[in-house]
Amino acid sequence: MHSIYARINNVSATLSTTIMVLLTAIALSSFIFTGGPTGSVEVTSVKVFSGEARRYPHRRQEYAFVNFNITADLTPLFNWNTKQLFVYLEAEYTNAKGVRNEVVFWDRIVRRKEDAVIAVSGKNKYPFREVSAKFKNSTPANYTLKYNLMPFVGMLTYGEAARVTEPIDFPLARERVE
Amino acid sequence: MFSEELKTFRRLGFRHVLLQILNFASVLASGLMIYKGLGLITNTESPIVVVLSGSMEPAFYRGDILFLVNPQNKRYEVGDITVYKIPGQDIPIVHRVLETHDVVKVVNGVRQAKPLPENQLLLTKGDNNYLDDRKHIVGKVRGYNDFPQLKYALLGGLGLLALVQRE
Repeated sequence: MHSIYARINNVSATLSTTIMVLLTAIALSSFIFTGGPTGSVEVTSVKVFSGEARRYPHRRQEYAFVNFNITADLTPLFNWNTKQLFVYLEAEYTNAKGVRNEVVFWDRIVRRKEDAVIAVSGKNKYPFREVSAKFKNSTPANYTLKYNLMPFVGMLTYGEAARVTEPIDFPLARERVE
Repeated sequence: MFSEELKTFRRLGFRHVLLQILNFASVLASGLMIYKGLGLITNTESPIVVVLSGSMEPAFYRGDILFLVNPQNKRYEVGDITVYKIPGQDIPIVHRVLETHDVVKVVNGVRQAKPLPENQLLLTKGDNNYLDDRKHIVGKVRGYNDFPQLKYALLGGLGLLALVQRE
Protein backbone atom coordinates (compact mmCIF):
# COMPACT_ATOMS: atom_id res chain seq x y z
CA MET A 1 0.00 0.00 0.00
CA HIS A 2 2.65 2.49 1.06
CA SER A 3 5.42 0.94 -0.94
CA ILE A 4 7.84 3.08 -2.92
CA TYR A 5 6.26 1.82 -6.16
CA ALA A 6 2.82 2.97 -5.11
CA ARG A 7 4.17 6.37 -4.21
CA ILE A 8 6.01 6.83 -7.51
CA ASN A 9 2.89 5.67 -9.27
CA ASN A 10 0.65 8.17 -7.50
CA VAL A 11 3.03 11.10 -7.88
CA SER A 12 3.60 10.54 -11.61
CA ALA A 13 -0.11 10.03 -12.26
CA THR A 14 -0.97 13.30 -10.51
CA LEU A 15 1.84 15.10 -12.31
CA SER A 16 0.83 13.97 -15.80
CA THR A 17 -2.87 14.67 -15.20
CA THR A 18 -2.10 18.15 -13.89
CA ILE A 19 0.14 18.95 -16.85
CA MET A 20 -2.46 17.74 -19.35
CA VAL A 21 -5.26 19.73 -17.68
CA LEU A 22 -3.05 22.81 -17.51
CA LEU A 23 -2.07 22.57 -21.18
CA THR A 24 -5.70 22.14 -22.23
CA ALA A 25 -6.68 25.14 -20.12
CA ILE A 26 -3.96 27.27 -21.72
CA ALA A 27 -4.96 26.12 -25.20
CA LEU A 28 -8.62 26.95 -24.49
CA SER A 29 -7.73 30.30 -22.93
CA SER A 30 -6.60 31.67 -26.30
CA PHE A 31 -10.25 31.67 -27.42
CA ILE A 32 -10.95 34.40 -24.85
CA PHE A 33 -8.62 36.86 -26.55
CA THR A 34 -10.60 38.04 -29.54
CA GLY A 35 -9.00 41.43 -30.22
CA GLY A 36 -8.35 41.87 -33.90
CA PRO A 37 -5.57 43.80 -35.59
CA THR A 38 -6.05 47.09 -37.39
CA GLY A 39 -4.17 48.34 -40.38
CA SER A 40 -4.12 49.36 -43.97
CA VAL A 41 -2.26 48.22 -47.03
CA GLU A 42 -1.86 49.95 -50.36
CA VAL A 43 -0.18 48.83 -53.53
CA THR A 44 1.67 51.74 -55.09
CA SER A 45 2.79 50.12 -58.32
CA VAL A 46 2.63 46.84 -60.20
CA LYS A 47 5.04 46.21 -63.06
CA VAL A 48 5.43 43.12 -65.19
CA PHE A 49 8.69 42.23 -66.88
CA SER A 50 9.59 39.37 -69.13
CA GLY A 51 12.66 37.42 -68.16
CA GLU A 52 14.27 34.03 -68.27
CA ALA A 53 12.68 31.19 -66.35
CA ARG A 54 14.73 30.11 -63.40
CA ARG A 55 15.38 26.49 -64.15
CA TYR A 56 14.88 26.60 -67.90
CA PRO A 57 17.31 29.11 -69.40
CA HIS A 58 15.65 29.31 -72.82
CA ARG A 59 12.06 29.68 -71.68
CA ARG A 60 10.50 33.11 -71.21
CA GLN A 61 8.67 33.82 -67.99
CA GLU A 62 6.93 36.95 -66.75
CA TYR A 63 7.71 38.37 -63.35
CA ALA A 64 5.52 40.84 -61.51
CA PHE A 65 7.09 43.48 -59.29
CA VAL A 66 4.85 44.95 -56.63
CA ASN A 67 5.58 47.98 -54.48
CA PHE A 68 3.43 48.45 -51.41
CA ASN A 69 2.96 50.32 -48.14
CA ILE A 70 1.80 48.57 -45.01
CA THR A 71 0.83 50.10 -41.71
CA ALA A 72 -0.62 47.67 -39.20
CA ASP A 73 -1.00 47.37 -35.47
CA LEU A 74 -0.87 43.70 -34.52
CA THR A 75 -0.41 44.19 -30.77
CA PRO A 76 -3.95 42.95 -29.91
CA LEU A 77 -2.91 39.52 -31.19
CA PHE A 78 -0.21 39.16 -28.58
CA ASN A 79 -1.39 37.37 -25.47
CA TRP A 80 0.33 34.96 -23.11
CA ASN A 81 -0.14 32.03 -25.49
CA THR A 82 1.26 33.78 -28.57
CA LYS A 83 4.57 32.38 -29.68
CA GLN A 84 4.87 34.29 -32.91
CA LEU A 85 2.95 35.83 -35.76
CA PHE A 86 3.52 35.03 -39.39
CA VAL A 87 2.36 38.05 -41.40
CA TYR A 88 2.11 37.76 -45.16
CA LEU A 89 0.95 39.73 -48.16
CA GLU A 90 -1.04 37.73 -50.65
CA ALA A 91 -2.19 38.35 -54.22
CA GLU A 92 -5.23 36.52 -55.49
CA TYR A 93 -6.23 36.39 -59.16
CA THR A 94 -7.41 34.09 -61.90
CA ASN A 95 -5.27 33.71 -64.99
CA ALA A 96 -6.32 33.44 -68.65
CA LYS A 97 -6.65 29.65 -68.37
CA GLY A 98 -9.06 29.88 -65.44
CA VAL A 99 -6.53 28.78 -62.83
CA ARG A 100 -7.16 30.49 -59.52
CA ASN A 101 -3.92 31.60 -57.94
CA GLU A 102 -2.95 32.69 -54.47
CA VAL A 103 0.60 33.91 -54.21
CA VAL A 104 2.54 35.15 -51.20
CA PHE A 105 5.22 37.62 -52.19
CA TRP A 106 6.15 39.19 -48.88
CA ASP A 107 6.17 37.89 -45.33
CA ARG A 108 7.53 38.69 -41.93
CA ILE A 109 7.81 36.83 -38.64
CA VAL A 110 6.89 38.89 -35.59
CA ARG A 111 8.11 37.40 -32.35
CA ARG A 112 7.72 40.20 -29.83
CA LYS A 113 4.93 42.57 -28.93
CA GLU A 114 7.35 45.49 -29.32
CA ASP A 115 7.75 44.62 -33.01
CA ALA A 116 4.03 44.20 -33.63
CA VAL A 117 3.47 47.68 -35.02
CA ILE A 118 4.42 47.31 -38.67
CA ALA A 119 5.21 50.17 -40.99
CA VAL A 120 6.79 48.91 -44.18
CA SER A 121 7.09 50.36 -47.61
CA GLY A 122 8.72 47.74 -49.70
CA LYS A 123 8.72 45.46 -52.71
CA ASN A 124 8.15 41.78 -53.14
CA LYS A 125 10.50 39.45 -51.32
CA TYR A 126 9.77 36.34 -53.38
CA PRO A 127 9.57 36.12 -57.18
CA PHE A 128 5.99 36.66 -58.29
CA ARG A 129 5.53 34.42 -61.31
CA GLU A 130 2.62 33.04 -63.27
CA VAL A 131 2.19 29.27 -63.73
CA SER A 132 1.26 29.73 -67.38
CA ALA A 133 4.28 32.06 -67.76
CA LYS A 134 2.13 35.06 -68.84
CA PHE A 135 0.02 37.53 -66.88
CA LYS A 136 -1.84 38.57 -70.04
CA ASN A 137 -5.66 38.43 -69.73
CA SER A 138 -5.52 37.65 -66.02
CA THR A 139 -8.21 39.13 -63.82
CA PRO A 140 -7.23 42.08 -61.60
CA ALA A 141 -5.57 40.90 -58.42
CA ASN A 142 -6.82 41.34 -54.87
CA TYR A 143 -4.08 42.13 -52.39
CA THR A 144 -4.57 41.12 -48.77
CA LEU A 145 -2.47 41.32 -45.65
CA LYS A 146 -3.04 38.17 -43.60
CA TYR A 147 -1.64 36.71 -40.44
CA ASN A 148 -1.14 33.33 -38.87
CA LEU A 149 -1.04 33.25 -35.09
CA MET A 150 1.14 30.47 -33.77
CA PRO A 151 0.54 29.65 -30.11
CA PHE A 152 2.74 27.89 -27.59
CA VAL A 153 0.05 25.27 -27.10
CA GLY A 154 -3.16 24.87 -29.08
CA MET A 155 -4.67 25.61 -32.46
CA LEU A 156 -3.15 27.73 -35.19
CA THR A 157 -5.44 30.61 -36.13
CA TYR A 158 -5.58 32.56 -39.36
CA GLY A 159 -6.99 35.98 -40.05
CA GLU A 160 -6.99 39.03 -42.25
CA ALA A 161 -5.41 42.29 -41.10
CA ALA A 162 -6.00 44.58 -44.06
CA ARG A 163 -6.98 44.54 -47.70
CA VAL A 164 -6.50 46.74 -50.74
CA THR A 165 -9.89 48.27 -51.49
CA GLU A 166 -9.96 47.70 -55.24
CA PRO A 167 -8.49 44.89 -57.34
CA ILE A 168 -5.50 46.03 -59.37
CA ASP A 169 -4.87 45.08 -62.98
CA PHE A 170 -1.63 43.59 -64.21
CA PRO A 171 -0.04 45.85 -66.83
CA LEU A 172 1.32 44.50 -70.10
CA ALA A 173 4.74 42.91 -69.86
CA ARG A 174 7.77 44.97 -70.71
CA GLU A 175 10.97 43.54 -72.08
CA ARG A 176 13.38 45.91 -70.39
CA VAL A 177 13.46 48.55 -67.68
CA GLU A 178 13.32 52.06 -69.08
CA MET B 1 21.81 -9.86 -6.39
CA PHE B 2 18.57 -10.81 -8.11
CA SER B 3 17.84 -13.67 -5.72
CA GLU B 4 15.09 -11.71 -3.98
CA GLU B 5 13.39 -10.88 -7.27
CA LEU B 6 13.75 -14.43 -8.50
CA LYS B 7 12.17 -15.70 -5.30
CA THR B 8 9.13 -13.43 -5.70
CA PHE B 9 8.99 -14.42 -9.32
CA ARG B 10 8.80 -18.10 -8.36
CA ARG B 11 6.23 -17.37 -5.69
CA LEU B 12 3.95 -15.55 -8.12
CA GLY B 13 4.04 -18.36 -10.61
CA PHE B 14 3.93 -18.76 -14.34
CA ARG B 15 0.33 -17.59 -14.79
CA HIS B 16 1.06 -14.27 -13.19
CA VAL B 17 3.95 -13.64 -15.53
CA LEU B 18 1.72 -14.46 -18.48
CA LEU B 19 -0.88 -12.02 -17.19
CA GLN B 20 1.76 -9.34 -16.89
CA ILE B 21 2.81 -9.87 -20.51
CA LEU B 22 -0.84 -9.75 -21.57
CA ASN B 23 -1.31 -6.46 -19.72
CA PHE B 24 1.72 -5.00 -21.41
CA ALA B 25 0.53 -6.12 -24.83
CA SER B 26 -2.93 -4.62 -24.26
CA VAL B 27 -1.38 -1.29 -23.31
CA LEU B 28 0.62 -1.28 -26.54
CA ALA B 29 -2.38 -2.35 -28.61
CA SER B 30 -4.69 0.31 -27.18
CA GLY B 31 -2.08 2.97 -27.85
CA LEU B 32 -1.84 1.90 -31.46
CA MET B 33 -5.64 1.77 -31.73
CA ILE B 34 -6.03 5.34 -30.47
CA TYR B 35 -3.37 6.54 -32.91
CA LYS B 36 -4.93 4.79 -35.88
CA GLY B 37 -8.44 5.85 -34.84
CA LEU B 38 -7.29 9.47 -34.75
CA GLY B 39 -5.81 8.96 -38.20
CA LEU B 40 -9.18 7.73 -39.46
CA ILE B 41 -11.01 10.77 -38.07
CA THR B 42 -8.48 13.32 -39.30
CA ASN B 43 -7.89 11.53 -42.64
CA THR B 44 -4.13 11.45 -42.30
CA GLU B 45 -1.75 8.55 -42.13
CA SER B 46 -0.04 10.04 -39.10
CA PRO B 47 -2.14 12.48 -37.04
CA ILE B 48 0.69 13.28 -34.66
CA VAL B 49 4.18 13.99 -35.96
CA VAL B 50 7.41 15.07 -34.37
CA VAL B 51 9.35 17.81 -36.15
CA LEU B 52 12.63 16.40 -37.40
CA SER B 53 14.27 19.36 -39.11
CA GLY B 54 14.88 22.99 -38.30
CA SER B 55 13.40 24.33 -41.53
CA MET B 56 10.42 25.92 -39.78
CA GLU B 57 12.42 27.65 -37.06
CA PRO B 58 11.69 29.78 -35.10
CA ALA B 59 8.15 28.43 -35.23
CA PHE B 60 8.82 24.74 -34.82
CA TYR B 61 12.02 23.35 -33.42
CA ARG B 62 13.24 19.80 -33.59
CA GLY B 63 11.33 17.57 -31.24
CA ASP B 64 8.15 19.66 -31.18
CA ILE B 65 4.88 17.80 -31.54
CA LEU B 66 2.38 18.69 -34.26
CA PHE B 67 -1.22 17.58 -34.59
CA LEU B 68 -2.35 17.18 -38.20
CA VAL B 69 -5.65 17.12 -40.06
CA ASN B 70 -6.25 16.52 -43.75
CA PRO B 71 -9.85 17.51 -44.52
CA GLN B 72 -11.19 15.67 -47.52
CA ASN B 73 -12.35 17.65 -50.57
CA LYS B 74 -11.04 20.87 -49.13
CA ARG B 75 -8.43 22.98 -50.81
CA TYR B 76 -5.24 23.97 -49.15
CA GLU B 77 -4.78 27.67 -48.63
CA VAL B 78 -1.82 29.94 -48.66
CA GLY B 79 -0.31 30.14 -45.19
CA ASP B 80 -1.23 26.58 -44.25
CA ILE B 81 1.63 24.60 -42.85
CA THR B 82 1.77 21.27 -44.61
CA VAL B 83 3.57 18.07 -43.80
CA TYR B 84 4.45 16.11 -46.90
CA LYS B 85 6.43 13.09 -47.93
CA ILE B 86 8.29 13.00 -51.19
CA PRO B 87 8.23 9.50 -52.66
CA GLY B 88 11.51 7.75 -52.05
CA GLN B 89 12.31 9.79 -48.99
CA ASP B 90 11.37 8.62 -45.55
CA ILE B 91 11.49 11.87 -43.63
CA PRO B 92 8.31 13.99 -43.80
CA ILE B 93 8.90 17.67 -44.50
CA VAL B 94 7.14 20.49 -42.64
CA HIS B 95 6.80 23.60 -44.81
CA ARG B 96 4.43 26.48 -45.30
CA VAL B 97 2.38 26.90 -48.47
CA LEU B 98 3.41 30.05 -50.34
CA GLU B 99 1.49 29.64 -53.58
CA THR B 100 -1.61 27.73 -54.57
CA HIS B 101 -2.77 27.25 -58.13
CA ASP B 102 -6.20 25.66 -58.57
CA VAL B 103 -6.05 24.04 -61.97
CA VAL B 104 -9.49 23.66 -63.55
CA LYS B 105 -9.84 20.46 -65.51
CA VAL B 106 -11.01 20.62 -69.11
CA VAL B 107 -13.13 17.62 -70.08
CA ASN B 108 -13.99 17.32 -73.82
CA GLY B 109 -13.22 20.97 -74.36
CA VAL B 110 -15.54 22.10 -71.57
CA ARG B 111 -13.98 23.77 -68.59
CA GLN B 112 -15.29 22.34 -65.35
CA ALA B 113 -17.12 24.74 -63.05
CA LYS B 114 -15.15 24.08 -59.91
CA PRO B 115 -11.51 23.30 -59.35
CA LEU B 116 -11.01 19.98 -57.59
CA PRO B 117 -8.66 19.83 -54.64
CA GLU B 118 -6.85 16.95 -56.35
CA ASN B 119 -5.68 19.27 -59.11
CA GLN B 120 -4.21 21.87 -56.86
CA LEU B 121 -0.59 22.84 -57.34
CA LEU B 122 1.28 23.99 -54.28
CA LEU B 123 4.55 25.74 -53.76
CA THR B 124 6.00 25.49 -50.31
CA LYS B 125 8.79 27.55 -48.91
CA GLY B 126 12.09 26.12 -48.02
CA ASP B 127 13.64 24.35 -50.92
CA ASN B 128 11.21 25.52 -53.57
CA ASN B 129 9.69 22.13 -54.22
CA TYR B 130 6.85 22.01 -56.69
CA LEU B 131 4.27 19.51 -55.66
CA ASP B 132 2.33 18.23 -58.58
CA ASP B 133 0.21 15.93 -56.55
CA ARG B 134 -1.75 16.28 -53.39
CA LYS B 135 -1.23 12.60 -52.77
CA HIS B 136 2.03 13.29 -51.05
CA ILE B 137 0.51 15.54 -48.46
CA VAL B 138 -0.03 13.95 -45.10
CA GLY B 139 -1.97 16.81 -43.54
CA LYS B 140 -1.85 20.35 -42.31
CA VAL B 141 -0.88 21.47 -38.88
CA ARG B 142 -3.81 22.38 -36.70
CA GLY B 143 -2.52 22.17 -33.20
CA TYR B 144 0.84 22.64 -31.73
CA ASN B 145 2.59 21.73 -28.55
CA ASP B 146 5.79 23.45 -27.63
CA PHE B 147 6.63 21.08 -24.88
CA PRO B 148 8.92 18.26 -25.96
CA GLN B 149 9.68 17.27 -22.38
CA LEU B 150 6.06 16.26 -21.96
CA LYS B 151 6.44 13.57 -24.59
CA TYR B 152 9.41 11.97 -22.89
CA ALA B 153 7.79 12.31 -19.49
CA LEU B 154 4.56 10.72 -20.68
CA LEU B 155 6.18 7.91 -22.64
CA GLY B 156 8.72 7.19 -19.93
CA GLY B 157 6.08 7.39 -17.22
CA LEU B 158 3.66 5.12 -19.02
CA GLY B 159 6.36 2.59 -19.83
CA LEU B 160 7.53 2.59 -16.24
CA LEU B 161 4.00 2.21 -14.92
CA ALA B 162 3.24 -0.66 -17.27
CA LEU B 163 6.33 -2.48 -16.08
CA VAL B 164 6.03 -1.62 -12.43
CA GLN B 165 2.34 -2.18 -11.81
CA ARG B 166 1.59 -5.42 -10.05
CA GLU B 167 -2.14 -5.15 -9.68
